[in-house]
Amino acid sequence: MTKGEAVGVPEDQAQSKKAAKKLQKEAEKAAKKAEKQAKLAAENQADEEDFAKDKYGILPMIQSQEKLDRVLVHVKNLTEDKADQMVWLRARVHTSRAKGKQCFLVLRQQQFNIQGLVAVGDHVSKQMVKFAANISKESIVDVEGYVRKVEQKVESCSQCDVELHIVKLFVVSAAEPRLPLQLDDAIRPETGDEEGRATVNQDTRLDNRIIDLRTMTSQSIFRLQSGVCQLFRETLIKKEFVEVQTPKIISAASEGGANVFTVSYFKTSAYLAQSPQLYKQMCICADFDKVFCIGPVFRAEDSNTHRHLTEFVGLDIEMAFNYHYHEVVTEIADTLVQIFKGLRDRFQTEIQTVGKQYPCEPFKFLEPTLRLEYLEAVAMLREAGVEMGDEEDLSTPNEKLLGRLVKEKYDTDFYILDKYPLAVRPFYTMPDPHDPKYSNSYDMFMRGEEILSGAQRIHDPQVLTDRALQLGIDIEKIKSYIDSFRFGAPPHAGGGIGLERVTMLYLGLHNVRQTSMFPRDPKRLTP
Amino acid sequence: MVATAVELASLEKTLGLSGVGGVPELQTNNGPGLEGLTTIASHLVKVAKKEELLGTTPEKSALVQQWLEYRVTQIDKCTTQDDKRMILKELNCYLEDKVYLAGNSFTLADIMLYNGLHPIVAALTHEDRERYVNVSRWFNHIQHYPGVRQHFAAIVFVRNRLYPTVH
Repeated sequence: MTKGEAVGVPEDQAQSKKAAKKLQKEAEKAAKKAEKQAKLAAENQADEEDFAKDKYGILPMIQSQEKLDRVLVHVKNLTEDKADQMVWLRARVHTSRAKGKQCFLVLRQQQFNIQGLVAVGDHVSKQMVKFAANISKESIVDVEGYVRKVEQKVESCSQCDVELHIVKLFVVSAAEPRLPLQLDDAIRPETGDEEGRATVNQDTRLDNRIIDLRTMTSQSIFRLQSGVCQLFRETLIKKEFVEVQTPKIISAASEGGANVFTVSYFKTSAYLAQSPQLYKQMCICADFDKVFCIGPVFRAEDSNTHRHLTEFVGLDIEMAFNYHYHEVVTEIADTLVQIFKGLRDRFQTEIQTVGKQYPCEPFKFLEPTLRLEYLEAVAMLREAGVEMGDEEDLSTPNEKLLGRLVKEKYDTDFYILDKYPLAVRPFYTMPDPHDPKYSNSYDMFMRGEEILSGAQRIHDPQVLTDRALQLGIDIEKIKSYIDSFRFGAPPHAGGGIGLERVTMLYLGLHNVRQTSMFPRDPKRLTP
Repeated sequence: MVATAVELASLEKTLGLSGVGGVPELQTNNGPGLEGLTTIASHLVKVAKKEELLGTTPEKSALVQQWLEYRVTQIDKCTTQDDKRMILKELNCYLEDKVYLAGNSFTLADIMLYNGLHPIVAALTHEDRERYVNVSRWFNHIQHYPGVRQHFAAIVFVRNRLYPTVH
């Protein structure tokens, strides 16, 4: 013990020396702090003298307290003819860059943006510029300012002929300062890697989908996709089609049982529809003649490829015809051509915006659409050195190669492949009258990838039963389907298109997840 | 070794010799035995009295020797996809302004490189055959050169460009 104490004394002394030093340091720190606080206080005092303090700030949460008469102008409408007008607008802060007495903001609204300028002057105080510079990226702001013509074009903005001289600036919704991804990184073309700058990979994009969807590219993709649906409806309604809604919870798988999701349905189980196939056929038997439907379709295929999703939007057509199923093929092909034309004529800006990030050749098609028979295609492939049987299904690489061969020979990105081998098609496919090995079925291709699969269906209950039995399908499970053809069924054909694939291939993109807003695949259920 | 024997037997046919047998170690009628693919190949060329295939000028002979060495040191040694791509890229550049490997005339180098590249080119997709368009042009020309192809399968080259974005 004593020994310990004896040793302890000098130690204590040493410690007290250290402590003294510490104290001194702390005192210094405190002094500095006080100094800083004094400075801050002085600044605050200056704030009080801020003559522009009513012209900026953070707005209280909008809870619908008041109805203002204020007109908010859309950024896309800010052009030269609005020059020298005073306007209000609501936009996001895309970037802000302060430089002395000035602060440049890029204000973004959807795929449009404009340069805003907060500069110390008659309306703007120093503090206001500081405030503007400190607004975090992606915050939503209400801004009032003068539209001014610029001498030199603002190359980085969509509204390049004007800028906005801001006089009022209020934050409506502040974004957290750290973003999970930078929008500028997300729109950088992947090929432009000479500068070695960051790009955002697919998974990061999808994990933070709502931010990724704000990019100009995404905005354009989904506006164009909406256009596909709109043009599909427009065209078919003009052709006197009726839009129908079909159930998605069904009792039997429509095209083979393997790739179907099972859901528990009270005391039994049910399936998620792989296509509205059976129901649109029943509509035909119920005298609706020409029907179409737009809705979700589910595929439980465990394939993680660039073009498979487990849930996608199906655009389905079914139509009764008089004597030959080519009547239907022509109608469907024409519908697609009308969509391509509509996109080309109405969505040029969107196409170009996407092209900036993902360059691709414009989509080419012929009118009337090129129709090849399966055997012709096999012959073309063999000529290119591919070895395959007459009745073998097309593999994906062969499909793509065929697309290139067709493009080279006929200069079209869109064509129909007719008369598929019966063995590779579902049981309800009508056999070819001249050669029972083939069938009255067809696929349609865009840029060498399948987008539509269709056929004449068997409308005779006996033949249908025979085919189902041949393929080992349980007749009991599809009884209601077969029964619907017993009381007079017109000959009919149809097909189903995947919306995401059409958008992807029209724009020449490389992954279907880019054209699905919230994609679902075997590995992704969120967001 | 078996592959080498097959290749030399095929070369004999190309050169119009009746089978000597016993390759790749060749017991010649006058002098010591010969070893090695290109050594024997050069010997066979001389036996067939087709010395022009080894190059008619000193420069050409040197070029032929260089490519024969390339065949056994580079092509026969490459295993990974990256190696193959490197070789194809290199050859594609070299062949840009040439009909044959040693300039304007057909030599043993063309035969030996055709043989060595056959499995690599056969495995290429049409897209890659187009990417290495000069290799494809040369290869297609050599495989149609009288007597060269022998037991090898003919490879199809599409005459027109299919992939405008490849270049």
